[in-house]
Amino acid sequence: MVKAKPAPILDVERLLALVPFISAHQGISIKDLASTFNVTPNQMNADLTTLWMCGLPGYTALELMDLSFDSGYVTIRNAETLQVPRALNFDECISLLFGLDLVKNALSEKSQLHPTIDALVKRLAEKSGLTTALRATNPVSAGLRATIESALKSKLDLVIDYHSLYSDEFTKRTITPLEIRLDGGIEYLFAYCHTADAFRVFRLDRISEATPKQVSESHRKNATVKSDDSHECEIRITSRLRLMSERFSLQNPVLSAPQKMRTYSHQWVVRSIFASAGSCELVSPTPLRAQIALKAQLMLDRYMQSEHA
Amino acid sequence: MSRKSERLVNLTIALLATKRYLTKNEIFRSVEGYEGTDDAKERMFERDKDDLRSLGIEIEVGGLDPLFNDEAGYRIKPEDFKLDLGEISGIDIALLSLAAQAWNGEALNEPAHSALVKLQSMGIDSDLDAIPTLAPRMASSHHELTAVLNAIASRTIISFDYLSSDLVKQSRQVCAYAVASRDGHWYLSGLDTAKDALRTFRFDRISEEIHTVGKSGAYEIPTGFDLLSTLDVELNTSVAVVEIRKGRAHALRKLAHKIEDAGEWERIWINYGDATLFIDSILWHLDDAFVVEPQSMRESIVRTLQTLVKTHG
Repeated sequence: MVKAKPAPILDVERLLALVPFISAHQGISIKDLASTFNVTPNQMNADLTTLWMCGLPGYTALELMDLSFDSGYVTIRNAETLQVPRALNFDECISLLFGLDLVKNALSEKSQLHPTIDALVKRLAEKSGLTTALRATNPVSAGLRATIESALKSKLDLVIDYHSLYSDEFTKRTITPLEIRLDGGIEYLFAYCHTADAFRVFRLDRISEATPKQVSESHRKNATVKSDDSHECEIRITSRLRLMSERFSLQNPVLSAPQKMRTYSHQWVVRSIFASAGSCELVSPTPLRAQIALKAQLMLDRYMQSEHA
Repeated sequence: MSRKSERLVNLTIALLATKRYLTKNEIFRSVEGYEGTDDAKERMFERDKDDLRSLGIEIEVGGLDPLFNDEAGYRIKPEDFKLDLGEISGIDIALLSLAAQAWNGEALNEPAHSALVKLQSMGIDSDLDAIPTLAPRMASSHHELTAVLNAIASRTIISFDYLSSDLVKQSRQVCAYAVASRDGHWYLSGLDTAKDALRTFRFDRISEEIHTVGKSGAYEIPTGFDLLSTLDVELNTSVAVVEIRKGRAHALRKLAHKIEDAGEWERIWINYGDATLFIDSILWHLDDAFVVEPQSMRESIVRTLQTLVKTHG
């Protein structure tokens, strides 16, 4: 529904934003300016040349903005009219409002910053014209993510406390973090796990603690990624198709007919079949089917026992 | 860089700096770049006004005095043009910058970035030492997020296709109230006009495009509506008592609001909303979690387990 703005209009938007930015960063390099405004240094040069021709009517040295950038560093004078940045538009306001709520939820409850954030939210909400609260939370702790990002940047190892969802166990592991990736709304940390001596993927929201650790060179040994060690399974969905296709990440889910899927963990398959509460059946492999039947009978026995007790 | 950009910047400066309304003739005479016949200049000026408006720069028309048959005059009010957040401290700037950075690559990344540039143009140093080291990150969002927010701001009804629990596309028409993000998903709440009841939708279950229906100002939004609090109430209306094995079922233990020791087990009290989804999460924990109460839930779990034995045995 939102139309993209044509190029000359975007140029004007950038030119108007450049003046206050340079005013607040006198002597900034053209390179840094270009990267701040996401344009090439050549484009930035063209921008500055245009601005150099702009000013108050009359357009003599007295009225034109006084821009200097020959040296590769930029200063601006005589630009009072445009010196204050432009008011925030609607999209900018809402991006900040969502962001502030996320920051607020990331702070400890005792933080002194809550009233400061509330006051900012109130001011921005008035400007946006929205009467409803814009809320955002994230299951991953923002402090933990900061620790991991800083370890990635400074190439440090991390000692993490990890809760494995499939085995339902807490483990302490030493890992070399490699990359944070987002998939289906969930953040994953790709890492080399020295405890398992293999590449592993960790869900960020399952890491309860991370501590940076200096790396000894012997630690950073080369390991080869194991070739695909996934297994094939066959499932049959009988109801709740939307939930099942989300749970099993199916591209073309169908009802009633058996369909193949690949998995890295049998534990995950068994738990997922139970958590589907009868909406999905495991067709193969047979040993896993037997395991599910056995476990279900065991649980049933306990319910029956307590029923008669 | 085109002459047009230069003219638009000069026009903005001239209209912003003037204390009184400038007539068209004054603009054509004084602002650099208006050339050609009178008609050509007129057309140029009309386009320029539209272009500035598309950037959110409102040109005010005024100075008409009926007694003197004056020409219309134009100006840009500095109070509309300039950023004014009241008194802003270095801590405010640090918090707002952190808020903007949370969008890293997501739907509102561009406005968040341009907002950040504006904040950095205020000439106030960000007081980073006053806030904890945090790296908040917004969940990946839907491309129609801003469209929905615009509809909420203008209170325009929206329509979209929504995937039902059987993955069937259903057409929905909604008076949208609010949008929020939780646990990696974006939600939209509002009055479903066909059902005449409040409904919450997950953005990733909305298929393709969202359209607006009818005019703006079509409905009222309940004051102070808060999607996450509403969701919380929906999510926590009943209590279940569950026995979990010690050292296991950590995800359930985290949700408990009361824990009692029971030997090899722990007895926990958990709030839940949707019983079906709650049973799913209990069964995920296999024989490490048993429901003690409510009885109806025990019965449906028993039925489920009987089905599992029958279909897999």
